[in-house]
Amino acid sequence: MQAIVVNGKRLETDADPSTPLLWVLRDHLGLTGAKFGCGVGQCGACTVQIDGAAVRSCLAPLSAVGEGQVKTIEGLSADCSHPLQKAWIELNVAQCGYCQAGMLMAAEALLKAKPDPTDADIDAMVSNICRCGTYVRVRAGIHRAAAEIRKTRGA
Amino acid sequence: MNAISIDRRRFFVSVAAVGGALVVGVQPRNAAAGALASGIAPWLSIASDDTVTVFVATPEIGNGVLTQCAMLVAEELGCAWSHIHAEPATPTFNYLNGELYTKAMGRLGFFAGRSTTPARMTTLLQVGASARERLRAAAAQRWQVPVSEIEARDSLLRHKSSGRTLRYGEVAEQAAKVSMAEEPALKPQSQWSLLGKSRPGKLGAAKVVDGSAVYGMDVRLPGMLYAALRQAPVHGGRLKSYDFEAIRQMPGVHSVVVVDPSEPRTNIKVPAPLPDLTQAASGVAVVAEHYWQARQALDALPVAWEAGPGADWATHEKISAAALAVCEAPAKEVLSKGDALGRLGQAGAKTVSAAYLTPFCDHVTMEPLNGTALVTPERTDLWHPSQNPQQAFAIAVEESGVHPSNVHVHQTLVGGGFGRRVHCDDVRMVVAVARKVPGRPVHVIWSREESMRQGRYRPLVATKMTASLGEDGLPDAFLARYSGVGASTTGLVTCAYANGPIPNFRVEGQTVPAHIRTGPYRGPNYNAHAFMVESFIDECAAAAGADPLDYRLKLLARFDDPAWTKCLKVVAEKSGWGGRLPRGQGRGVAISNWSATAPGQPKEGTTVAAVARVEVSRAGELKVRQIDMAFDCGQVIDRDGVLAQLEGGAVFGLNMSLNEMLTIRDGQVVEGNYNEYPMLRMGDLPDIRIHFDALSGNDRYSEVGEPPVGPIGPAIANAIFAATGKRIRQTPFRLQDLSWA
Ligand code: FES
Ligand code: FES
Repeated sequence: MQAIVVNGKRLETDADPSTPLLWVLRDHLGLTGAKFGCGVGQCGACTVQIDGAAVRSCLAPLSAVGEGQVKTIEGLSADCSHPLQKAWIELNVAQCGYCQAGMLMAAEALLKAKPDPTDADIDAMVSNICRCGTYVRVRAGIHRAAAEIRKTRGA
Repeated sequence: MNAISIDRRRFFVSVAAVGGALVVGVQPRNAAAGALASGIAPWLSIASDDTVTVFVATPEIGNGVLTQCAMLVAEELGCAWSHIHAEPATPTFNYLNGELYTKAMGRLGFFAGRSTTPARMTTLLQVGASARERLRAAAAQRWQVPVSEIEARDSLLRHKSSGRTLRYGEVAEQAAKVSMAEEPALKPQSQWSLLGKSRPGKLGAAKVVDGSAVYGMDVRLPGMLYAALRQAPVHGGRLKSYDFEAIRQMPGVHSVVVVDPSEPRTNIKVPAPLPDLTQAASGVAVVAEHYWQARQALDALPVAWEAGPGADWATHEKISAAALAVCEAPAKEVLSKGDALGRLGQAGAKTVSAAYLTPFCDHVTMEPLNGTALVTPERTDLWHPSQNPQQAFAIAVEESGVHPSNVHVHQTLVGGGFGRRVHCDDVRMVVAVARKVPGRPVHVIWSREESMRQGRYRPLVATKMTASLGEDGLPDAFLARYSGVGASTTGLVTCAYANGPIPNFRVEGQTVPAHIRTGPYRGPNYNAHAFMVESFIDECAAAAGADPLDYRLKLLARFDDPAWTKCLKVVAEKSGWGGRLPRGQGRGVAISNWSATAPGQPKEGTTVAAVARVEVSRAGELKVRQIDMAFDCGQVIDRDGVLAQLEGGAVFGLNMSLNEMLTIRDGQVVEGNYNEYPMLRMGDLPDIRIHFDALSGNDRYSEVGEPPVGPIGPAIANAIFAATGKRIRQTPFRLQDLSWA
C-alpha cells in the first residue's frame, strides 16, 4: 500500500509503484477526469499537476509522486467556478471534450506561472493535441480567464 | 418554409402519461393497430418537476447534436433552457417497437454524422409544438378560460389577464389526456426566437470541464476486468501461436482470450444501417484486473502471426505505384457527359495533364478505441463510444448470439469520431473478447499504437486528370481516372464542374485490391478529390495565363448556383486577394462542396471557399499564415456551433494536408503514435478567419462538419505554387520538396 495526496485528500492504493500515475488515478482511485490519449507523453490528455506544475501523468510512475500534491481536473473547483471552467463554458470551447481536462490543467499551471500570458507563452505551455481543432477557442478561453483572475485580484 | 413540415400523411403525434410525465412521440400512420400497444417511441417528455428530456438517437461526437436537438424542441415548447437535457434513444427500443425511430428519421437515424437531417428537425419542432399546445389546453381546462388567453414561456403557463401561472410540470399529466383534432402548425421561421439567433450554451459543457463526463474510456462497473488487445499486424493476417505460460504469473493477469474470425457466429440478424457488419480480426487479448497490468502482460506475451495475402502488398510505395499505374490506362466508365474522349483526342487544343496522390491517414480520435461488454448466455450489455449505436446493436447481437430483445447498447460520450466509429468493427472486437469471459464486464482498450495500426483509414487515392482548354482558356473537356485502395468517385462525379461548367466530362476508375483496411474519414474521398480537382483547375488557369480566382469565377458562372461566386468573392475580398506579396509568399484559392443528399447539384449541400496565404523559405520550410473561409450551407440554426465546426474543420484540413501519412513496411502500418504521426498544436496555427457573408439563405440547413475539410489543402498547394512556382501534387506537404531558388 502506498498513499498519495490527490486534490487535498490522502488516498491509499495497492498499485505497483511502477504504474503510471494516470492509471493509478483512473483505475485504482476512480478519478477518470485525466484521460488516456497516447501513453507516451505526446498529447497531454493525461495532464495533471504535481505541486502546481503540469505533468503528463502517463509518464510519471506512482513511485515518483512521493509527497507531491497531485491536482486533477476533479480538484479544479468544487462547482465549475474556476475562471477557466467558466470561460470554457461561456466560449463553448469543447467539441468532443476528450482533450479538455488536459488543456485545462495545463492552462491553470500556465496562469499560475504567468498571470498575463502572451500567445507565445500559451503556445509554449499548452502544447496539448486537440483532434477536434478547438485551439482557437482554447487560446481565447485562457485569455478570458486570465483577465478575470486579474480583475478579481484587483491588480 | 417547406423544408420543415412534418409529413402528416405518414406520421401522427402520440402522447401518453408515464409516471406523471407527459411523453410525446410520433408514430407512422400505417403501423398496425395494436403494434403500438407496448408504448410510444418517446421523443420528448416533461416531468412533474418541469424537467424536459429530449430523446436523441444520434450520439454526441462533439458536433453539438444534442444541444441542437434540444434547441429545436425548446423553440416550440417554450421551456426554460435550464430545464432541458438530452438522453439517448436506444436501438433496442427501436428494434422492439417496429423501428419507430428509424421510420421517422430514415435508415441512418442513429448515425452520428450530420446533425441537421430535415426529418429529425421537423419531428423535434413538431413534438415541441404539440406538447406546448397540450400544456396550454390543460391549463385552460384547469382555469376554465379560453386557450387563446394562455401564454407558454420559460416553462410557465400564464393567464394573461389574471396573471395566474402554472408550471409546465404541474399540468404535464393532465396534458397527456388532452386530445387534439389537429396538431398545431409550426411557428413561421420569422418568429423563431432561439434558432438562428443565439446558442444557449452547449449541453453537458459543465461535465466536460469538471471531469465528470463519461466517455467510453471512463466506464467503471463492479467486477470489471480490463483487456489489452492486439490484432494481426498485417491486416487480414492470423494468429499463429502465443505462449500464455510466459505471462501467467504476472500481476493481475486473469486470462488470455483469442478472437478467431473463423469461429461460427450466430445467424440472428437484425436490421442494420450499414449492411456490411464487418468481420472480426484475428487477435489476442490479455485480460487482467487493471489495464496497466493487462498492457504490461500483453507486451510480454510471445505472439507469432501469419501475414496472409497482405504480405504481397509490402510497402505503400508499391501500393501507390500500382494505383498510379491504373490511372494511366482506360478503366471502367463511371460518368460520361458529352464527348470528353473525342475532344481530348483532337489535335491543336491546349492540353493539361497531371496525376495526384494522397496517402492512407488515420483518424487518430483523441479517445483511443475501446468499449466495455458484459455477456451472459441470456443478456448482452455494451457500453460504447459509438458513432452508430444501431450498427453497434446489430453487431453485438450477432457476435454475442443473444436474442436482440436482451441486447442493450449504452451509448457513452465519444472522444472524437470523424468516421472511425461508424462501422463498429471495434464493437465486434469488444464483444468477441467479452463473450469469452462470460459474466464479467470486460473493458477492452486499444493502445494508441493499436488504434493507429488497426484503423479503417482514409483511402489511398490516385487520380490522373487531363483537360483540353477551349478558346476562352476554360476547360471544355475533362477526363479523370481514379484508383487507389478504398477510393471512390466522391468529389469527382460529384463536383460542380461536372454539372455545367465543363461540358464534356468523363470519369473512369478502378481500385487496387491491397489489404489495408479503409473506411469513412471526414468527408470520405471528397477530402482527396477536392485537393486534386482544385489544384488541377489551378493548373488549367496557369496554362491559360489567367488569375486563379477570375478563372474560377468565369467557370462557375456556368453553374446554376450564384452562392459559389459569392463565396469566392467574399473570401477574395476578406483575404486581400490580388494584393502584392514578396517572393516566397503567395495566396491560393479553392472551392468545393459536400452534400450528403444531392451531391454535385446546385443549391445543395455546403459550399466552402478558402484562400490560404503561405510563406515558403528558400530551403523549403512552409508556414501557413492565414486561412480565410466563406461558406454557404443555406441557413444556420446554431451560429456558434457552425462556427466551431468550420474552425475545427479548417484545423482538420490543415493537419490532413500538411502532416498526415501512414507508411507501410512488410505489409504493416509503421506509425503507431503521435511522435511518428505529427499533429498541429496551438503554436502551429495560422490565423483562421471564417466569414458568414456568403450565406444564401436558401431553404436548407446543410451540414458543416465535412465540407471545410475539402478546400484547405488545395488552397495551400495553390498558394505554394504562387509563392514558389512549384506545383505540389501529393500530400502531406511536410514531406514534399518545396525549396526554390
Ligand atoms: S496520454 Fe499522456 S501525454 Fe498522451
Ligand atoms: S475537443 Fe475533441 S479532441 Fe479536443
